[in-house]
Amino acid sequence: MGSIRRRPLTPAFRKAPATQDDSFESLRQAFHARLESERVHFVTLSAALARADENPVWIFEDLVYRAHRLQGGAAIFEESEVAKAAGRLESAAGAAAQSRADNTDEDVWSALEDLVKLMGNIESVRAVANA
Amino acid sequence: MPTEHKLHSLEDSSADLHDTILTQRMENTQPCRVLVVDDDDLVRARLTALLRNAEFEVEAASNGEDALRILGSRHCQILLTDWQMPDMDGLSLCRIVRSEHGESYVYVVMLTVRDSKEDLLKGLGAGADDYVVKSAPVEEIMARLEVARRITHVEYSLRRSHRENRRLAVTDPLTGAYNLRFLMKHLPRELSRSQRYLHPLAVLSCDIDRFKQINDAYGHDIGDEVLRAFVARADSCIREGSDWLARVGGDEFLIVLPETDVAGANRAAQKLRRVFSHCPVATHVGPVKFTVSIGITALEAEREIQEPSKIEDLLRAVDRGLYASKSQGGDKATAASVTAGRVAIIKQPGEKNGIN
Repeated sequence: MGSIRRRPLTPAFRKAPATQDDSFESLRQAFHARLESERVHFVTLSAALARADENPVWIFEDLVYRAHRLQGGAAIFEESEVAKAAGRLESAAGAAAQSRADNTDEDVWSALEDLVKLMGNIESVRAVANA
Repeated sequence: MPTEHKLHSLEDSSADLHDTILTQRMENTQPCRVLVVDDDDLVRARLTALLRNAEFEVEAASNGEDALRILGSRHCQILLTDWQMPDMDGLSLCRIVRSEHGESYVYVVMLTVRDSKEDLLKGLGAGADDYVVKSAPVEEIMARLEVARRITHVEYSLRRSHRENRRLAVTDPLTGAYNLRFLMKHLPRELSRSQRYLHPLAVLSCDIDRFKQINDAYGHDIGDEVLRAFVARADSCIREGSDWLARVGGDEFLIVLPETDVAGANRAAQKLRRVFSHCPVATHVGPVKFTVSIGITALEAEREIQEPSKIEDLLRAVDRGLYASKSQGGDKATAASVTAGRVAIIKQPGEKNGIN
């Protein structure tokens, strides 16, 4: 009886898991570096929102854009908590923009504070890890 | 140009050209090529690295317009696109790809953070083949791209076999010349084009002299070699891209010469006759010498205005010319025409019958 030869694995599964490759780590570091600057942007936007007397729609729209972008990047770089928090902010800011809410919209503030806090935590953990 | 290649230039030139280019591209593009479209440079870089790691070829674009430019210049089997992007979003890109790139199928995978059922339906409705949320594990994203690779490979195989079937349907398998089916489809087209624009059209009917004796003396294998050699040599005697040759019976061939009057057809026939009578054909049992008899007919523009020829007239005239050549012992070319339903041999000055 002839030996049973296993078919070669398809390329996607031939190598070590893709998440362990070298490029992932360097890209992830770049993503975290961007996370820091994004946190600064969100803090700046929250200050702008707090000061906005009327018609803060442009701030909501900017929040939607940034939160959406952050959500996508975080999902790809396996920062699922950040992705979820950014998703919540995107939804809240989108709804606020649509309803022309004022700068006291609770959902937006809650989502914004959660996200900024989470990003700050990640930054702290990384700073400790790198020390 | 070999006869089988002429098929493509005559039947449906643009589609076949596209097919040929596509085939060359696909044969030369292993592994299959993915176009990654995302406005986030880090996401693009990450996806590119993952795909290259899985032996895909990767192109990248930051928005829909750039993606279309790349698709216009290179065939990408798979398009992996984000939804929300500046200038042109993934949905619009998807719709354009579906409407403009129908011939070479592009498998579209939409990769987005939008995870509602409504969004999924919108994405698929725009023409995406698959829809993956960015929060899905990397293994799932890659597994779906493997599915895409398999499907595009199947699609390519089907396209190749369809093209081959289409070629076989109009080609004589022994000689590679066109077959009777092709002749009956394309000769009427040549005739009507010629009559519409009052352009000349000539037809030659060729028959290998004493072909049965060749078969009897050397066997059918050699007979087949002779037939193949006839087609190869005849092909080299006619104009590339316009003239064509069809096998209509055992050792009978018809050559169609668009934009050719009777004098031009005579010259072509003489060239053809000489190329066989002067040079034996090399076979695996040694050189075999044979000659061909040729019938010639051509449309005359003035007469076509008064009395348009029918396809039957052309075939009757060319048959009559061939018969005249054969009855004079072969290795001759004779022109004939049909006037008012009657076939007449066209006599040349200084000739009793036929033109040599």
